[in-house]
Amino acid sequence: MRSAGPPILVFVVLIAVWQAACRLLEIPRFLLPAPTDVVEAWIENRESLLGALVSTFLSALIGFGAAIVVGMSIALAMSQSKLLERSIFPYAVLLQTIPIVAIAPLIVIWFGAGMPAVVVIAFLISLFPIITNTTAGLVSTDHNLVAMFELYNASWWQRMVKLKFPAALPYIMTGLRISSGLAVIGAIVGEFIAGIGGLRGGIGYVITSAAAQIKMPYLFAAALTSSILGIAIFILVSFVSTRFLRHWHESAIRREL
Amino acid sequence: MAVARPGGTPAVKPSPLGESLISIDRVGKTYANGTIALEDISFDVRDGEFVSLVGPSGCGKSTLLRMVAGLGPITSGTMLVEGLSPKAARQEKADTAFVFQDANLMPWRTVMGNVELPLELRGMEKIARRAQAAEALSMVGLGDVQKSYPRELSGGMRMRVSLARALAAHPRLLLMDEPFGALDEITRQRLNGELLRLCALANWTCVFVTHNVFEAVYLSTRILVMSARPGRIIAEVAVPLPHPRVPEIRTDPEFTRIVREVVSLLGSATDAHEED
Repeated sequence: MRSAGPPILVFVVLIAVWQAACRLLEIPRFLLPAPTDVVEAWIENRESLLGALVSTFLSALIGFGAAIVVGMSIALAMSQSKLLERSIFPYAVLLQTIPIVAIAPLIVIWFGAGMPAVVVIAFLISLFPIITNTTAGLVSTDHNLVAMFELYNASWWQRMVKLKFPAALPYIMTGLRISSGLAVIGAIVGEFIAGIGGLRGGIGYVITSAAAQIKMPYLFAAALTSSILGIAIFILVSFVSTRFLRHWHESAIRREL
Repeated sequence: MAVARPGGTPAVKPSPLGESLISIDRVGKTYANGTIALEDISFDVRDGEFVSLVGPSGCGKSTLLRMVAGLGPITSGTMLVEGLSPKAARQEKADTAFVFQDANLMPWRTVMGNVELPLELRGMEKIARRAQAAEALSMVGLGDVQKSYPRELSGGMRMRVSLARALAAHPRLLLMDEPFGALDEITRQRLNGELLRLCALANWTCVFVTHNVFEAVYLSTRILVMSARPGRIIAEVAVPLPHPRVPEIRTDPEFTRIVREVVSLLGSATDAHEED
């Protein structure tokens, strides 16, 4: 917990400065709400915000889950043959570069507005890092270990499960860390462009409607809530990553120097 | 001792009539890009022998060893291991163990997890294979680190785990590719002694690649000297020193004479290459 001290201190100082600046310089609330205004708005609207949080979290989670399943399957296929890799990779890149905003109407028509479309958008945005990182991991197995498995007449399946997959875990975890954040962003952006209003609208809807009504403190409160969601998911994935890697991978080992 | 072969006696060194485990006849290796790695290699290895391959760096000795293990294709000549092609021998008889230059352990598995791997791949069930692996670990003196991870061990300990893994499957033939090269001299000499002790107990046949001449003379019954690339066998040196070896033998005059002979052969091998 010693490591949490400095950032917390910085946070407290920033909040204090922000609060003081707003009050002393008499900045209008619609330009920059003071921290107290934000907290007030948060408490006042906590039910809708929490409901929105749950909705966005669910969409992000389902989209992320689908990206893991589909992404890792594609990566597995790509790792098996150079030909497959070369054939599929350009399409994966295409996926990455398509402006979601442009194809949003198409997604809405195909999958239906609201949660279905939001999940698809979260899926599309978080898919690419999982594919690339998992593929990189699966093709980077130490060739001496591969030789050893061949020496003991291991089957394809044994090699995949006992060697390639565990060896690829550090790469996979990196991909998951990146993608989890993207899934959250994807869900919120999805809610902007393909969401429906009301209770099931999620944080994206809250932000859009607060902006439209120029309820700045509420807007800030919503943005804060979405950050908390992003941070929570990141911490969760990091925790899982450390759990898997802590015995052996440099990135997860705490060393005394 | 469970690992001794039935009917085999420990500390028996080869009789000239021992069965030929490896037969290599005019074997060559040419890579796809035309580089000739090995040329016209012929020798036999008999049951119970300890043969060292010594040669300058890049002479192809590691490549040759891998071919014996069935890990690399032979481009000319014939090679038989236990009467079969190396690959068939590996798949059907599974009597060969290979120890790599570095310990080659899976960092995500514990020591036990690493040692039991060959048995696991073979389909042995958990209790039996754990017992066999534990036995191998205690033979190398690492019975108490079963639950440790490779990163927690020193280089020498990791190499011993690698040895235990090779041992666990009760091989007949042990192929070793400069296994002690990365270790300090003291650990290296100690592991040399351990290796000989285990060889005597389990009656293994060993083919050992090294470029440390002292190590080769200490361990072997016979040394094959290779030339620089393209690798050829230029000489065979018998090592008639008594078994079991004692560490003092390293200062014995006969030992020194053999070392000097091998060194001068190696020297001529490198010189010949430089003249080309």
